[in-house]
Amino acid sequence: MKVRISENLSSLNSLINEVKGSSDEVGAIIIFIGVVRGRNAGGEKVLRLEYEAYEEAAVKTLENIISDIKDKYGILDAIVEHKIGSAEAGEDTMYAVVASKHRDEGFKSLIELIERLKHEVPIWKKEITEKGSRWIENV
Amino acid sequence: MAKVKVKYFGRLRELLGIKEEDYYVDGATLADLLLKHIPERHGDKSKEWKETVFVTVRGEVAINAAGTPMLKNHFILVKGRTPELTYRLEDGDEVAILPPVGGGNYEG
Repeated sequence: MKVRISENLSSLNSLINEVKGSSDEVGAIIIFIGVVRGRNAGGEKVLRLEYEAYEEAAVKTLENIISDIKDKYGILDAIVEHKIGSAEAGEDTMYAVVASKHRDEGFKSLIELIERLKHEVPIWKKEITEKGSRWIENV
Repeated sequence: MAKVKVKYFGRLRELLGIKEEDYYVDGATLADLLLKHIPERHGDKSKEWKETVFVTVRGEVAINAAGTPMLKNHFILVKGRTPELTYRLEDGDEVAILPPVGGGNYEG
């Protein structure tokens, strides 16, 4: 298990190799890549997102989430990396990689991990469009 | 006299123009810190601060049936826990004030 919050994401290949090497029982690796959309829900052109995190709490919360899904689905390993700082449209902002024996528990656990990340992990983002900027908040 | 560190994030950091700062409080509760000490130090931003962090009615902070001010979608962490606003601050406490996170409108 590894959680990393940083201005620069690792190479996706290195993360895949890391979870692949976690056990000789790995039979499936499921990957989620978060990307900055070029247009927001209102159709405005997005220039960039700016992320900030309460890093200590974000890492701890993500570790707890991974621990929960390991217990629930029996996955073998998981890595989450999340970017902070500025990310332009089209840029990768998050990698979540799950290794499991079979695809079924891998897909289910990854969906749950991302949903919980959205609502529980203290990472905030500000959207900068051609028309202005706003904090994206789930209110 | 208790020294506490307060950390701000997202729109609150932007509103106050500061990431963190120390307060020296004596016998103060979390509610005292949020409704008295912080607004006093940031006088020109105090109205927007209260309206961002608390539920307000005609400019006044709303109080629930138990007599406690009502937070507006914000979480307050002290030593990794979310205490009641009646919590009495202790020397060395780190208070993190967390706006709501991104939620459903996430990239992906």
